[in-house]
Amino acid sequence: MDRRDFLKSTAMTAATLAASRLAYGQAAGPTPPVATGAGGGVKWNKAPCRFCGTGCHVQVGVEGGKVVAIAGDPKAEVNKGLLCVKGYHVGLALYGSDRLTQPLLRKGDKQVPISWDEALDVIASRIQKDPKGFALYGSGQWTIPEGYAASKLVKGGLGSNQLDANARLCMSSAVTGFLATYGVDEPAGCYDDLDACDVLIMWGNNPAEMHPVLFSRVIDRRSRGEKVTLIDIGTRRTRTSAFCDHVLRFKPNTDLAIACGIAHLLVENGTWDKAFVDANCAFRAPSEPATLQGKAITFDEYRALLAPYTPEHVEKLSGVSQQDLRMLAGLFGRQDVRITSLWCMGVNQHTRGTAMNSLIHGLHLLSGHFGKPGDAPTSLTGQPSACGTVREVGTLAHALPGGRVVAEEKHRHQMEDLWNVPPGRISSKPGYHTVQMWERFSTPTDQGGDIHTLWVQVTNPAQTLPNRHKLVDPSRKLADKFLIVSDAYPTETTRIADLVLPSAMWVEKNGMVGNSERRTQQWFKMVAPPGQARDDAWQLIAVAHRLFERGFEGMKDKDGRFLFEVKKDGKPVPIWDFQHYYDVNVDAHLFEEYRKTTRLKHKDLAPYEEYVKARGLRWPVVQQPDGGWRETRFRFSGFDDPYVQEGRDIDFYHSPTHDGRAQIWFNPYEPPPESPDTEFPFWLCTGRVIEHWHSGTMTMRIPQLQRAMPSAYLEMNRADARRLGVGNGDIVTVETRRGSLDLPVWLGGRGEPPEGSLFVPFFDERLLINELTLDAHDPFSKQPDYKKCAARVRGRAKKEARG
Amino acid sequence: MTFSSLVLTLEDSAEQRAGVLALLERDARITLGTPLEERWLPVVTETATPEEGESLADFLRELPGVRFLDVVMVDFSGGEC
Repeated sequence: MDRRDFLKSTAMTAATLAASRLAYGQAAGPTPPVATGAGGGVKWNKAPCRFCGTGCHVQVGVEGGKVVAIAGDPKAEVNKGLLCVKGYHVGLALYGSDRLTQPLLRKGDKQVPISWDEALDVIASRIQKDPKGFALYGSGQWTIPEGYAASKLVKGGLGSNQLDANARLCMSSAVTGFLATYGVDEPAGCYDDLDACDVLIMWGNNPAEMHPVLFSRVIDRRSRGEKVTLIDIGTRRTRTSAFCDHVLRFKPNTDLAIACGIAHLLVENGTWDKAFVDANCAFRAPSEPATLQGKAITFDEYRALLAPYTPEHVEKLSGVSQQDLRMLAGLFGRQDVRITSLWCMGVNQHTRGTAMNSLIHGLHLLSGHFGKPGDAPTSLTGQPSACGTVREVGTLAHALPGGRVVAEEKHRHQMEDLWNVPPGRISSKPGYHTVQMWERFSTPTDQGGDIHTLWVQVTNPAQTLPNRHKLVDPSRKLADKFLIVSDAYPTETTRIADLVLPSAMWVEKNGMVGNSERRTQQWFKMVAPPGQARDDAWQLIAVAHRLFERGFEGMKDKDGRFLFEVKKDGKPVPIWDFQHYYDVNVDAHLFEEYRKTTRLKHKDLAPYEEYVKARGLRWPVVQQPDGGWRETRFRFSGFDDPYVQEGRDIDFYHSPTHDGRAQIWFNPYEPPPESPDTEFPFWLCTGRVIEHWHSGTMTMRIPQLQRAMPSAYLEMNRADARRLGVGNGDIVTVETRRGSLDLPVWLGGRGEPPEGSLFVPFFDERLLINELTLDAHDPFSKQPDYKKCAARVRGRAKKEARG
Repeated sequence: MTFSSLVLTLEDSAEQRAGVLALLERDARITLGTPLEERWLPVVTETATPEEGESLADFLRELPGVRFLDVVMVDFSGGEC
């Protein structure tokens, strides 16, 4: 068989098995379409996709030291052999023509090549100058070992908590919603719910574009003749809307009123699940002063707080009809259907994000639609390891690994023991959350700007932070502020950096990530990175060792050993020297150390080798009497979760009230911080498109994706366009109180904003919409609201649209 | 040479399905597998470049009688990188 025949037969096997999965919901046989191992010169191995938080597994075909083919992994439960348009092009993300291949140091107006040795010296000197003024800003694209190394470096080594991550911008309201409701982060359900639900409600969510593989699981069920009712509750029409049985448009920020309205009807109609609530829940409302814990209330008080949210009142606030509100309440009130809710950025990027997250959980708890397959409130993540790294490792300013927090003395001592550092090394004072961190970096030192050096890894904040003019640009004019950026490609952030470090990416390094459904995934390095590009974890460890060489106390443990010491055959391996970094599996070493922290919150992880064998495992992964390891699909449910007390159907064993109960919250509707007015008459919403992932750093370098969606645009309603006198392709100026941007108009595109509202995607570095967005944020999660601010549009003739 | 694995989900109408199959059988770049339940059709495309493969997939996606197109595997060893 020659190479062509081999590839063709492999391709047909893959297609046939995928067809079988679509037709029957499962593969006809166990044979994978692409066997791991050599064949026709192409060697295949598994890896999770590099892009979103779904956690699809791909098979990566490597030949001649290069990734040459990508296949959906038929053994992967998440995607069952299928991929989205980004996924099947993921291999090309490595091969953009402008990869960063050597460290660059700004000298005057230029960034000039320097050696890694010099780069490490520069960073070490900046840290030594004032360790507490050094901050690290990471990412939900950090692998688990990378995030763990970052936490150990900053919290265990520097004794500060100036570590935060871009997941603050996408997931932190989900975290605070989970904490306020269950006392512990992350979803109880999993993707299996999508295969079992009768009703799927998408709250401000567009999975047809943002999580297409998950969405196709539901659409495929329909193709097989199953009945699944899809409901889209959002502020604009999207690709998802086209598949839905019910499309409900609401006025921005009024989703809280809708949730309260449904709860009101459940209570008043007596269709709430009294038995479930009596056994498993308690009621809660905001306290004064406001805290994440709020205050306990009785059912009668809850009912009274909901009383104003009559269908008539909610219709007036939200624009959703009384009939649709009654339809939703009717579904939640039925016990013969299974309901899954999905949400992502629409609910999270919200100045009331924590409150709205809690309300959705509350609807499921109040109605008893919880804990059975298909009955689940499930928040989705946008990044491949927002959960695994940022939320579980805890690369946030207040957090420590394994669900610990710096404010708890016991938690600090546990980590000091594990890291073998002196008591008191870990600071009890939380660092700055993302918006604060960048504000401090952009404020002159003598005016309180106490962050002097900021190291960014695996993210592009100059494009993705809101209100860039305020949070980013001022720092570039302050002589004593120093920006370090590690990335694979030139970005908006590398261009303004003082020091640029070239990074290895995806299968150019070992890695582990954790997806939206608590699934921890692993892969091995398959190809070499270009030039001098190096692993992000190596960069952190090498800087730590440079400080150690200089005698910096923080990089020594209590016994004087290097904080990141790794031994092989009893002898330390010089992993800080990149030539020796792969003499051992540093990822496995860091993961095994981190794994010890995961039991506290019952997020138990299996040994590294178990993940090598699997396409991911969902925690808690608990060892069985026969020595095997069992994952958990339905957390808190007695039939599946080993930590549920025997004899109980449901057990919220991390309850905020320590009594096994989850909290059903009342949170009132409140107006947004900025609303359209006569001067700025439109709502402006930002987001993603199916072809591009986040800031487009990778996908805009994949020719097929770049061609499919070459530039950002402004979507607006046809009626508004007519009033403004603009048509498809016309360039208009969008303005907010923070900035302006010229964009081409797209009418009748894939999305359709209602009259008076606009949508602009944020993937295009040439058209930076985040120069216009609002940096107002949720009081608990500190997550900014990218989904609504006031804007106006001017046509070329300088006409102004008045809504 | 670039190969792609696709699955076409065909429409309910037998007439439309027959029309699609007849059209695809005439295209030398396309190899058809055995349809499952008459609706899920495995397909392999073989094109000179990834761009041509992309255009062909777009063409198939828009064909009357094709309800949905899933891409399962893409080989890009022969194209732009």
